[in-house]
Amino acid sequence: MSQTAHIVHLTAPTGPADAATPPLLQVENLAVSYGRIRAVDGVNLHVEPGRIVSLVGSNGAGKTTTLMALSGLLPLASGRIRFAGEDITALAPELRVARGIAHVPERRRVFAGMSVRENLVLGAYARGDAVDIASDLERMVALFPRLGERMAQQAGTMSGGEQQMLAIARGLMSRPSLLIMDEPTMGLAPQMIDLILDTVLEIRKQGTTILLVEQNAVEAMRLSDHVYIMRLGRIVHEDSGTNIDPERVKSFYLGADA
Amino acid sequence: MDYLGQLLANGLVLGAIYALAAVAFTLVYGVVRLVNFAFGELFMLGAFLTASLMLPEVRLLGAIVPMPGFSLPVAAAGAIALTAALGVLVDRIAYRPLRNAPRLAPLITSIAVSVVLQSLAQTVWGAEELRFPEFHLATLPPVVLFDSIYLSVMDLVVMATALAAMLGLSAFIARSSLGRAMRASAEDQMAATLVGIPVNRVVAAAFAIGSGFAALAGLLYAQTYGFAHSSMGFLPGLKALTAAVLGGIGSIPGAALGGLILGLVEALGSGYLPNGTAWKDAISFVLLVGLLYLRPQGLLGKPELNSAGRGSLLGGASEFGAGWLRAAFGKLDGGLARAASAGTPAALGLLALALVVGALLPSDYWLRILTLVVIYGMLASGLNVIVGFAGLLDLGFVAFWAVGAYLTSILFVLVLKDQFGVEPATIWWLLYLNLPLAGLLAAGFAVMLGTPTLRLRGDYLAIMTLGFGEIVRVVAINWMDLTNGPMGIRGIPAPNLFGIALGSPRAQFFFALALAVVVVFAIARLVRSYVGRAWVAIREDEEAAEAMGVPTARYKLYAYAASGFVGGFVGVFYAHTQQYISPLNFSLFENILLLMLVVLGGLGTFIGPFVGALIWIVFLQLALDLPFVQAYPETRFALLGIVLIVLMVFRPQGLAASARVALTMPGARPANAKEAA
Repeated sequence: MSQTAHIVHLTAPTGPADAATPPLLQVENLAVSYGRIRAVDGVNLHVEPGRIVSLVGSNGAGKTTTLMALSGLLPLASGRIRFAGEDITALAPELRVARGIAHVPERRRVFAGMSVRENLVLGAYARGDAVDIASDLERMVALFPRLGERMAQQAGTMSGGEQQMLAIARGLMSRPSLLIMDEPTMGLAPQMIDLILDTVLEIRKQGTTILLVEQNAVEAMRLSDHVYIMRLGRIVHEDSGTNIDPERVKSFYLGADA
Repeated sequence: MDYLGQLLANGLVLGAIYALAAVAFTLVYGVVRLVNFAFGELFMLGAFLTASLMLPEVRLLGAIVPMPGFSLPVAAAGAIALTAALGVLVDRIAYRPLRNAPRLAPLITSIAVSVVLQSLAQTVWGAEELRFPEFHLATLPPVVLFDSIYLSVMDLVVMATALAAMLGLSAFIARSSLGRAMRASAEDQMAATLVGIPVNRVVAAAFAIGSGFAALAGLLYAQTYGFAHSSMGFLPGLKALTAAVLGGIGSIPGAALGGLILGLVEALGSGYLPNGTAWKDAISFVLLVGLLYLRPQGLLGKPELNSAGRGSLLGGASEFGAGWLRAAFGKLDGGLARAASAGTPAALGLLALALVVGALLPSDYWLRILTLVVIYGMLASGLNVIVGFAGLLDLGFVAFWAVGAYLTSILFVLVLKDQFGVEPATIWWLLYLNLPLAGLLAAGFAVMLGTPTLRLRGDYLAIMTLGFGEIVRVVAINWMDLTNGPMGIRGIPAPNLFGIALGSPRAQFFFALALAVVVVFAIARLVRSYVGRAWVAIREDEEAAEAMGVPTARYKLYAYAASGFVGGFVGVFYAHTQQYISPLNFSLFENILLLMLVVLGGLGTFIGPFVGALIWIVFLQLALDLPFVQAYPETRFALLGIVLIVLMVFRPQGLAASARVALTMPGARPANAKEAA
């Protein structure tokens, strides 16, 4: 385990929760359709700066679809997205990255044929050619020492956990104010899951707001300041991470409560 | 040694040009997985634009236009910039709307773009060759190597330019930020978007660079051979694509290597083989077929490229289009789908309609055209078996058609009439024997061609079958004793039944209709059997089909055989209605035309090929009446190309896509049980 191990105890919500703070991300009445199928319907959510907010729910609940709509990969059927006070509903995906939204996609999707360094450099693409990225590379190595040892290695040859680290680091290279993470622990060994989740806390501590999608609802609740529960394309429940009754979550997952 | 050295030198010059054009194919394929056939035409435009800019005046659209008369380097730079801009425009209009469309759709529009550009060039610059002006370096004495190898200064310039351009591009791709973004987009477009890469702009940049390379290759080619012509891009374009595939498409060093090998092999082949210059085009394609058989991913390519497009030949739809247009297409599609789902009654109704039209239509001229519609509909149905049902993209289908047409023509004319003096009318029955015979021969041929392609997938399969088709055409041109060569075979007798000549257009239309009934019925029976289900399983997901125990190799060969049989069968009738055949009838363009008909009508449908043929051939005739087309006859094909691009952009899944045959087990649904019975 790395230098991030010491923050495991940091589970209580610490984000600034006073109502005066305007939300960093505000989503109103978001709807997304795949052809005739409405995958996300009337989702409202907001993320205050400095917080970790989670979106949990069973398979097919519309979590990934929501995230893809937020970063501009899917067209909206209706709704509005505001980010840092600006309406970004119609903004092209690459411009959203430039505004400060980074999205670490499901299944990592590192550029497998390129080196770790090239992946990281590409992460800073939206910031333009002129920026000095050496300091950012150092920051990433400090966060994930493992990546430092592998700078020249082809990304596709690394283990799943290492690729996840790279995907997160690549996202951070754009110096985002909001980091969106889609199932960062999927398919990883338990030890690696702990490491990744610790890193999530560390990233928040360094000042980046986080919107997280997790299959593992228990871990997500432990980590998050605020949790939204999705079911069949809608948000069915929300509360602060510590207030949510796990039994209630279970019922949402199993579909007993509708 | 002198002779060899000279051949090697020539090969290097040709290879350098092929390599440059191959880079265009490889670069764009690498980023968007599209074989952009239009690069052949951008190659041609590079030559025309350079020549025009170098001359003091040019005849454009029949009028003399003063030109700046630049020197070669300036004119070349101008031509490259203009062609690059055109390439970006083409991407914007014809390809970008199709990024999520079925994979065949952009391939078809790229062919349509070729047709448009070629006929526009012919309209603008005329049908004759434009002499390429001499550059002053060309007047310098040649450089002599080893006392015996003569290289003109321009040859050296060509090689140096090609080398510099390729090294420059490699460095650009490896080092620059845009180059890195290109590689990232090539690997994973979604991830590239998420790190903030404007993927559409990166793709446009790839098109600009690729088009510039094609133009550079074209102008160097024209400079070397001293002329520019509107059709000059076709064969070099195919060779460059071959070179790209040879080297491993997507790899720039591979394109350079492939181009070099191809240039050397062609030069050596035409120098050493008996009658080598005539066969040099076949040599390249034989090399391609042989290499793909041994190493499916090309010399330097990655193996996964060979799995491109799994299950995606037909999937997807347009995300584009005005409301009313979409609604209109939807209605047409719905109507065709209803007709298709009605099964036998609808088929009989259509047949009755065709019979009534055939009986009542007063014009012989239109009857001939409708006969052609039925013939092309049948051929397209044959191609549909392999492309639409089994999902194997076949660009060599014309070869089977040619086998049928040549078999019956050679027997009737060259053997029986010319050798033995037998009057065709006395052996009229031979035609009816030839129909199944040619079908079987072509089917055997198809299996023979199909066997080495079993390891290939997607675009690689398309290129290999294209190679086969070209080999057959080159053989038909050059094997004079067997095929009469480019003169073709004349005097093929019209069909005859019990001594009654079926020479009238009306009789031939009914004859064609009868054959169409046989063809469609046979295909329908086959597709609705377990064989058809296996084909569709392979089309949808080859690995899954294999895992479920479908012997994919065997069923792919069945598909080749069935499609070959139809090709040969129809070819016999085609020869007898046309009464004259030549290798020109069986060009790659015809194959692409058939593919267009199938895609236009709807892949994997029974009615689609005929819908496509009707639209295409009737439009081709109607266009003749437009005053604009009468003033500029060459624009007819440009117009067709534009119509096709519009149809593809708005309706990439084909007009009758919903009529696609639903294959369920007999008994699974009452409606289907009835059809199967």
